[in-house]
Amino acid sequence: MMLLAFDLLLAAGLLGLAVLVVAGPTLFVSLVAYTVFGLLMAVAWARLGAPDLALAEAAIGAGLTGAMLMLSYRRLLAIRPERTGQRLVRRSRLALPIALACTVLSAGLFMALAGLPEPQRSAGGDALAATAQSEVGNPVTAVLLLFRGYDTLLELLVLLVAWLGVAMVQAQARPSAPRPPAPVPLLDALLAAVVPGTVLVGGYLLHAGGQAPGGAFQAGAVLAAAGVLMALAGRLQPRARATPVQAGLLVLGLLVFTAAGLWPLAAGQPLLALDGLATVYAVEAAMTVSIALGLCLLFLGAAGLGSK
Amino acid sequence: MEFLLGGVAVFLLLNLAVGLVRVVRGPADSDRMLAALLFGTTTVAVLLVLAALMAQPALRDVALLFVLLATLLSIAFVGLPGGDPGAHR
Amino acid sequence: MSLVELAAALFLLCGCAFFLAGTLGLLRFPDTLSRLHALTKADNVGLLLICIGLAIQSGSLRASLQLGLVWLLALTASTVSAHLVARRAHRQSNGAGR
Repeated sequence: MMLLAFDLLLAAGLLGLAVLVVAGPTLFVSLVAYTVFGLLMAVAWARLGAPDLALAEAAIGAGLTGAMLMLSYRRLLAIRPERTGQRLVRRSRLALPIALACTVLSAGLFMALAGLPEPQRSAGGDALAATAQSEVGNPVTAVLLLFRGYDTLLELLVLLVAWLGVAMVQAQARPSAPRPPAPVPLLDALLAAVVPGTVLVGGYLLHAGGQAPGGAFQAGAVLAAAGVLMALAGRLQPRARATPVQAGLLVLGLLVFTAAGLWPLAAGQPLLALDGLATVYAVEAAMTVSIALGLCLLFLGAAGLGSK
Repeated sequence: MEFLLGGVAVFLLLNLAVGLVRVVRGPADSDRMLAALLFGTTTVAVLLVLAALMAQPALRDVALLFVLLATLLSIAFVGLPGGDPGAHR
Repeated sequence: MSLVELAAALFLLCGCAFFLAGTLGLLRFPDTLSRLHALTKADNVGLLLICIGLAIQSGSLRASLQLGLVWLLALTASTVSAHLVARRAHRQSNGAGR
């Protein structure tokens, strides 16, 4: 019973926050509301029994996106200060009729979905059965790497192409380093405590991804957040070009995954039929490095990184 | 015990809702940032309670992630101009 | 309820009380610095009491260690965040007057 009350409160909170994001009195209110929305979204994923998604939402939605919005707000303060005192969108008389129509549509969809019969055989059930036969214990990792490996491979490619776009634009525009706060001894102590801890947690998530919630993407997002933390504190600076090592690390995930995918062809197996836990871990480790560096560079809008 | 844990979770969510008032009222951006800090800690507490309630130990890892990245927003916020007249650049 | 469950319940309820105090302070105190003072009580002590209650209830060493680690990191994070926000609020009210 208490769980039902919790779920209803959570749903109401998500709706209220969404309204606050769109209709908040100033831009900053919308920003904070959006970050809190990410926090509650992670709780919602947790309640729905998806800890992998909750991990990803925590790292990206609540951490990286919030910081990115804050930095964009700072840029807006510099170029268009009058915009920051306004609301996100202008009020419109169409808002209420559209909201009512959407509510009716959502209620109709919900009732239609609730009335559907249970499917006899679903892909989820097949995947769970196949996972039980493989060495990988975590069904999410099994689906990502063993059953739908091609999709994951192309996701790595998408990340790389996004970075290429940023690197090309950097040739024209100068990367703007986030202004670090004035030197604060407490900040140095924080970095000394948090960054090694984050690297450890990233490694733990990578290792746990085989049997428990975790995996390459979550570990990569956590490591990217550690890199962003160091950049915001001024320890890492964006650069206009990537060093050869950084470029190599960016393509490492794609290369290792492709190599591991082509290898079974030599043994007569189909493409991307990864066998064994060791292959899965090797591919995931390479993916983690690429995802971490890629996300960090995308956040900073830079082609490469350098120290101060 | 389940009832108590559920009650604690609901109570923490209600705290969140009340804190939203501060986000809307302000008056300064720092006040809104304070509310965001409270939300972070409350969410961590909610996740830890859910980990016990739903018997899902992975949620403690999610809470760990939250606390590690909690300072990211504050540091980004504090770098905003207008807050530090004595700083360089 | 067994003694263990009773102890856990007690800690959880005290933690909730501190969270309530923090939220009330956030709402009712007059300026930024005093609100910060109130909410860090929820951050530190409230979370500690809840973690202790959950650790007692879980009965597992691994869970208790994880809870302790989460609390220590939350302590670090909230300390630094509160300090940074307080500095900014203080300078804004004393400095350029913006």
